[in-house]
Amino acid sequence: MSEQAQTPVARFGAFIGSLISATWMATMNGIGNAVAWFENWLFGGKKALYGLAVTRMIFGVTAFGLLASNFSTRLYTFGSGSAWNGELAAPLSDFPKIWIFSAFHAVAANDVAFTALYLLLAVLAVLFCIGWRFRIVHPIFFVMWVSFIEMNDMVGDQGDNMFRIALIIMFFADPAARWSLDARRRAKKEWFAEGSSPRHIGTVLHNLALIALTAQVAFVYGSGGLFKAQGNPWAHGYAVYDPLQTTRFGTWPVLSDLITAWGPMVAIGTWGSILLQGAFLLALLSRPTRLLALFGILGFHVMIGVLMGLPWFSLTLIAIDSIFIRDRSWKRITEGIGEKWRTAMGGESSKPVAVAESA
Amino acid sequence: MVRDAAAKPQPTTATAAKPKTWVRLVALVAVLFTGWHVFASFLWIAPYSENAREVVPGQLLTNYMIPFFGQSWSVFAPEPINGDYHFNVRAIIKTSDGGTEETGWVSATDVELSMIQYNLVPPRAGIQSSEVASSYKGAFDSMQEVDRAVIAGDFEVENWEVGLRAALESQKSEGGSSPANRSATIDELMREEHRSTAYATQVARAIWGDSVQQVQYRVSRQNIIPFAQRHDPSAVRPEPMVVLPGWRGPVVEEGQNDGNFGDVFRAQFERITR
Repeated sequence: MSEQAQTPVARFGAFIGSLISATWMATMNGIGNAVAWFENWLFGGKKALYGLAVTRMIFGVTAFGLLASNFSTRLYTFGSGSAWNGELAAPLSDFPKIWIFSAFHAVAANDVAFTALYLLLAVLAVLFCIGWRFRIVHPIFFVMWVSFIEMNDMVGDQGDNMFRIALIIMFFADPAARWSLDARRRAKKEWFAEGSSPRHIGTVLHNLALIALTAQVAFVYGSGGLFKAQGNPWAHGYAVYDPLQTTRFGTWPVLSDLITAWGPMVAIGTWGSILLQGAFLLALLSRPTRLLALFGILGFHVMIGVLMGLPWFSLTLIAIDSIFIRDRSWKRITEGIGEKWRTAMGGESSKPVAVAESA
Repeated sequence: MVRDAAAKPQPTTATAAKPKTWVRLVALVAVLFTGWHVFASFLWIAPYSENAREVVPGQLLTNYMIPFFGQSWSVFAPEPINGDYHFNVRAIIKTSDGGTEETGWVSATDVELSMIQYNLVPPRAGIQSSEVASSYKGAFDSMQEVDRAVIAGDFEVENWEVGLRAALESQKSEGGSSPANRSATIDELMREEHRSTAYATQVARAIWGDSVQQVQYRVSRQNIIPFAQRHDPSAVRPEPMVVLPGWRGPVVEEGQNDGNFGDVFRAQFERITR
């Protein structure tokens, strides 16, 4: 070290240099730690297995319910009674034109074959719900479902798109790992040994699928909020009144009148929808806001499902939202219910604490 | 609350054995692909932005998203629907003495919507006439004034669609719309004419049987009572906007099973009119 180098300018320069290098190091370390954390998260076990199992079950119920509620009018809406809409001659959706999705379209004019496929699809929906041979049932159900639901473009809604997209993303995940017939079989013998390479890849794909599904639903809500924010009726706090007063989207006129009678209530519903949708992704990040967002959005969907006559649309979104409830919470919920059940049925309880509490 | 369950430590599974290098490479590819998918979904789902979409060259975004990830989320936005569409049908039928008779109007919309009212699990059958009415009116509204007079005329001979199209094409284009635009709007209207007439034919046959000679439909939209007036007992809904095309010859699509349409429609019609 020489005296000449110790001028104030040089010292200041050295100080700036050390700041830059420290910042650089901190940034690089930060990135390194983040990558390590992410890799650990990615490989460290499949996340949200119970939530995704609930998604699977509600999806099965949704598909079965939709098929059941359209059964008596299936030929009128989708089959040979509906040729007037021109789809028999030239389908509007892209899917019937793709060979593997063309089965329903191909048999649309044949009542017996169409009904047979319809019933087969209902059986597949049940198998999907209970998670039987899921890796085989899932792709067959997907192909058949898309083939069916795209038969009549005019009566479809965005719930159909959400359902299809979620089914695609679920191919990469493990929705039958819990609460399924497969889970019982796998408990005896797992497909791949723990720590094996296929198991690692399965875990990574599962967790990435959760990211994709989270992004999908969060973008949908965020975008829904932005689209609504452009409209006057939403800004002025009365938008939910309008569709509820139409015959098509106000399928329970008495309830529509009741729920829109008090102005502030209408404003809460209207602004609440925008705020919940817009804030959804960020609200997921902490527990209290997550609870608020999930209960809020659940209420929002129940309203849409019941009051607006869109139950299957709503159930589809409710199903996907269940991935945001942690495995821990699902376990606590089910153990709590099981405990109450055993207590109520008078059987012996393994948890004296709960008995004491309920006594 | 059963607290002990939550307190139990959850062993993290499968972390003990470190993944092999090739597995980590596979994971990296999967991460990059997920990143692309999430980014593409973001651009697609967000309100349309031409400048944001420039980041993906050419048709790549559309080609990736359509058809499997096709979706649109401007539902009930920016302005939610605030009116009802209606599709009414009447017919000219052949009477037993060889003459013809004009029937009264039947509201196909009332019949179908009654399937979904006060129904927790409504069938999709209930919304078809509203959809037909709404798209027909959309196509009609984009036609010029002179065209509307043509559409109001009767076209009931066989292959009437050729005649209607020729009549529309012979109208002079108003307001400088380009020939391509003009021909697209006519195409659109002709598609709607065809479908609406085919639907009206089914409705007419369901109610009046095979003796239907000609059909006519009336499409309307009526707005609801505005929010601010909802407690005003004297408030009435605004007058409907009505479109009344002329009489049309029946249109029956190949493969159409009249019975499968008629049985459902007639049963519901009888349920609400009885």
